[in-house]
Amino acid sequence: MSVAQSPLSRRLQLPFAVGSSLLIGFLITALVSQEPVRAYLALITGPLPEIRWSDSQGWQVHRLVRAGSVIEDFITLTFLGLAVAVPFRARQFSLGADGQMFLSALAAATTSLYVGGPWFVVLPAAFGAAIFTGFAWGLIPGLLKARYNANEIVTTLMLNVIAVQLYRLLIVEYLRDPAAGFLVTPVLPQAAVLSALIPNTNVSAMLFLVPVVTVFAWQAMMRTTVGYEIRTVGEAPAFARQVGMPVTRAIVLSMAIGGAFAALAGVHIGNALLKRLPVDLSPGLGFDGLVVALLARNDPKAIPMAALMYAYLRTGAQAMERTSDVSREMVMVIQAFIILFVVSQRLLPQALPQAWASLRQRRFSAKRLKLEQP
Amino acid sequence: MNHDLLAIATMGAIVLVAVLRATTPILFAALGGLIADLAGSTNVALEGIMLIAAFAGVVASVYAAVWWPDLAPWIYPWIGCAAGIAAALLTTALLAFFHLELEADLIVAGIAINILAAGLTVFLLASLIGDKGSTASLHSPVLPSIHVAGLAGIPLLDTLVNGETGRGHHILIYLAFLSVAAVSALLCRTRHGAWIRAVGENRQAALSAGIPVKRVQYLALLLSGLFAGLGGLYLSMGYLSLFQTDMTAGRGFLALAAVFLGARRALGTLAAALLFGASAVAATRLGGFNVPPEIVYMLPPFVTICMLMFAGRRRATTVLRS
Repeated sequence: MSVAQSPLSRRLQLPFAVGSSLLIGFLITALVSQEPVRAYLALITGPLPEIRWSDSQGWQVHRLVRAGSVIEDFITLTFLGLAVAVPFRARQFSLGADGQMFLSALAAATTSLYVGGPWFVVLPAAFGAAIFTGFAWGLIPGLLKARYNANEIVTTLMLNVIAVQLYRLLIVEYLRDPAAGFLVTPVLPQAAVLSALIPNTNVSAMLFLVPVVTVFAWQAMMRTTVGYEIRTVGEAPAFARQVGMPVTRAIVLSMAIGGAFAALAGVHIGNALLKRLPVDLSPGLGFDGLVVALLARNDPKAIPMAALMYAYLRTGAQAMERTSDVSREMVMVIQAFIILFVVSQRLLPQALPQAWASLRQRRFSAKRLKLEQP
Repeated sequence: MNHDLLAIATMGAIVLVAVLRATTPILFAALGGLIADLAGSTNVALEGIMLIAAFAGVVASVYAAVWWPDLAPWIYPWIGCAAGIAAALLTTALLAFFHLELEADLIVAGIAINILAAGLTVFLLASLIGDKGSTASLHSPVLPSIHVAGLAGIPLLDTLVNGETGRGHHILIYLAFLSVAAVSALLCRTRHGAWIRAVGENRQAALSAGIPVKRVQYLALLLSGLFAGLGGLYLSMGYLSLFQTDMTAGRGFLALAAVFLGARRALGTLAAALLFGASAVAATRLGGFNVPPEIVYMLPPFVTICMLMFAGRRRATTVLRS
């Protein structure tokens, strides 16, 4: 933060960013769509459950599935947001959450398939395998950066491609279910599946893990030595080097820890949402984690809130695509503008309180002038 | 014997031509990345700018034919080309504005531009054409190729200069390789080039020397956008004759890697871009053998990472020596 911001403008910036991004999105939609208003109504109200009255059945709650998918997305995005936020705190622009998530999901699924036994054996094993995989895959770009000064944006993106292809290769060659009509792993055993808490959705006990993990990440960032080192390397690298901090270790660890958080998202997708892994699991979720992290300004305790907002927007986008002629990729445009507005240091909200203050001052002095004149 | 030699040489020429084709989009973007990087503003949005230019080129050339049906047919691709460049410059200007005027972090803003490009192209594709995958249903024109006549008697040279179909190389291929010389001259021989390097070397010193730093940064970013745009246009109006979702497929990031790998020099960047082009061609040739396609797709990123390690090691040793 090079420019000092007033508290008011800081608080205003996020609503301003979201509001103006939605507005820009609307203007672009209005240019090409026949029904922009309808599309936007679906985007904004789509994820809400519908409460209807009918004479025969009384009050009924409809569309719980959509609310459920908001919560499912919220869980994924919180973990992915943490996965991006930790390296970003060390100013490492690691975009590798996608690859880490793919390989961890596969590690969890493989463990679930091959380690039998009751849930208290299988689940910890699956979690352990996933976290180990995510950590190790995150370690690679960290070491490449520390050892060879290889640009982490490039290496993480390249590693994503390798990870996704490795995931596909392993499923096609070794893990495919020959009975299924498409390329997919066998259904995971019942003991390894996190069962749903809300009927007709896949909201599982992972939901309870969200606050635990968030608080853990926040405390680890603020209270531990490694957390302090990561933050200092990000905010004042020259200072960190001068005082002899292990800068290399902080850089490597920030990316590896990020990978461990991405692993939790992988377990959520494999063992709770899909219950088996299809070969064509679509990449790109990592970038949504990026938006969440930036919305929360890389602050772990703000990430669940940002994830909830963004999950809402994503589900709304699907509702929009279904009910109007606007495709759901519109949300990526909104997403891009939100990022641009959030990272802009010098933006309207800054000018706004200043204008307000100067206006008040002028009126005040005018009043005083009037008082003094007679 | 002589026949075999000729066959091998012709095969080599065909592969070489394929490498040149695969290199061109990476080379364009890498030259843009080089200029921006030397000015101290690493442009990670190359990928997105390429994508938007590729899209705008195809759509504008198709719409131009619908709106002005009386024009000569050769004009339409050039209208598309102009629109693609304009779109690339506009996108870059958006990035530059947010970075230089609103003080947004350049890397994060660049990532945002990439997301914007990926979303906007698919959204507009679905809205305008009704297909989320590609513009295959449209008959979109391509920019012309340059045919060198009078080589029919020398088959080897003919393959090399005019390609295996004998139609000549795409005009943007020539432009890409000419651009290497132009960028090199710009950076080393002109005042603006010196300014660009000075700003990248030390912004404060450049400011006190009276260099219009902000203007130079705008110039460098817009130039990088121009080159990335040409790379995107080559993809959709030369390499292929349609726009596909995510057709840049990471070439913008390969270009970034090429800049680092080429030790931030024009010729080094050319060499790195050729290497990436060659690894892409090798991957497709490998597809003909009995290798799982997943391994083929893994090859170019793997080569990129190895090359970055190599470049990093070399840099470390030179630092040690000095």
